[in-house]
Amino acid sequence: MSDFKIKSGFAQMLKGGVIMDVVTPEQAIIAEKAGACAVMALEKIPADMRKTGSVCRMSDPKMIKEIMESVTIPVMAKVRIGHFVEAQILETLEVDCIDESEVLTPADWTHHIDKKKFKTLFVCGAKNLGEALRRINEGAAMIRTKGEAGTGDVSEAVKHINQITREIESLKDLSTSELEIRAAEYRVPVDLLKEVASKRCLPVVNFAAGGVATPADAALLMQLGCDGVFVGSGIFKSSNPEKLAKAIVEATTNYNDPQKLLEVSKDLGDLMPGISIGSIPTKPGHSSDNNKRLSEIGW
Amino acid sequence: MKNIIIGVLALQGAYIEHVNFLNTCIADGDYGINGFDITVIEVRTSKELQKCNALVIPGGESTSMSLIARRVGIFDDLIAFVHDKNKVIWGTCAGLIFLAKKIDNVDHNADILDTLKLVDVSILRNAFGRQSQSFIKSCDFSSFINDCDDYETVFIRAPVINKILDPGTVKILYSLEYEKESGEVDNLIVAAKQNDNVLITSFHPELSDDFRFHKYFIEDFVLK
Repeated sequence: MSDFKIKSGFAQMLKGGVIMDVVTPEQAIIAEKAGACAVMALEKIPADMRKTGSVCRMSDPKMIKEIMESVTIPVMAKVRIGHFVEAQILETLEVDCIDESEVLTPADWTHHIDKKKFKTLFVCGAKNLGEALRRINEGAAMIRTKGEAGTGDVSEAVKHINQITREIESLKDLSTSELEIRAAEYRVPVDLLKEVASKRCLPVVNFAAGGVATPADAALLMQLGCDGVFVGSGIFKSSNPEKLAKAIVEATTNYNDPQKLLEVSKDLGDLMPGISIGSIPTKPGHSSDNNKRLSEIGW
Repeated sequence: MKNIIIGVLALQGAYIEHVNFLNTCIADGDYGINGFDITVIEVRTSKELQKCNALVIPGGESTSMSLIARRVGIFDDLIAFVHDKNKVIWGTCAGLIFLAKKIDNVDHNADILDTLKLVDVSILRNAFGRQSQSFIKSCDFSSFINDCDDYETVFIRAPVINKILDPGTVKILYSLEYEKESGEVDNLIVAAKQNDNVLITSFHPELSDDFRFHKYFIEDFVLK
């Protein structure tokens, strides 16, 4: 057994749970009391990052530390894609999990972090199977859909989980030589792809993320096969965060029970207004324009 | 044929792993020869709970599990179930926290972490520290599992049993020698049983590539 088991096992303990973005210790406490299984400590939630158009970096470690001291559930924090020094800093701070995130401005447009070099586990975003497997091959112990962070539009997360499911399903009829071709196409070792083909699922936990705003959104992604849910801007951009946070936790537990989903969907106040995905132009690559799709960052 | 149902509490955490491990042991164990027909089910509701002869409470986040149990309305039935001496119970990691009578380091969230108060022990949550202090260690469990002297034991943000409150009913199964940063060696209780029907472990046998612990639970607890 390897150290990888300590990393992937941590992610397994989060399954069936909700991980919430928080910007203050007070919000972290609200999240914990609502039943969140972890929090993501951030200076700004993605919905606000979208508006600024400035470079988004790792949050102030002092603020992350304050959140770590305010709750007993695990605390995660984000680093820029490829910024292994931000990751070294967060590892030294002893955050429980590092998110190498497309929501921040990438530090390296060619390489993701070599995550195997770290004792801390990483979660990474993916919009298809190849991307998920490249991240796992680099050492990620947990995957999440990219979705489209900060929009409140769930459709991209739905697209990404369906894409991954479909691509895993398509492996089952492939011969060894076809698997080799597919592995080369994905730029991953064939053994990793063979493992996915035989287990018919990713070798690590896969959460939903990006655009989840309601209990029904969370249940939708669970029914589509996600192991749990990240909720970013949705909760603290609504008029009653305590109530919405609890409702999303309950919807994630009872994702297959429409009666329970009906109960928790009622009277939640004003939800995050959101931005529909269709209103954001596709503009891949390096752009300082804040009006762009974050899911196109990373490769 | 005696029908036996083992439930795995499926509110949050690593419950599928327990279901799969138990099913592998059952497929391998040939218990039918001795007249037992064992089934494993996931438990989310009181109705499912009432069918069970035994219950496994898995690892996960103990605060989430406790809060969710209250909100889905299964908490009071769980208390009644685990306190029934005819039922067999096993808690791993967060499951151990959820079964403990007392938590010594509750600090601010005493109000959100209600436990089922079954096992007469007091525990320390996250006793080793944060995730960066999680570890794997080979342990010798041969004093209670035949020939099991090399079990790869996974500790993830693990609790430990700090004190045994009733030595008359709770017996230590295993203490871990743990070297602290200061170099001092502590003996930490990580596995125990209460009477003959309750098993608690602070580690995760459902993450080892080893089925012996689940086999021990079935043979020494469920079928006894």
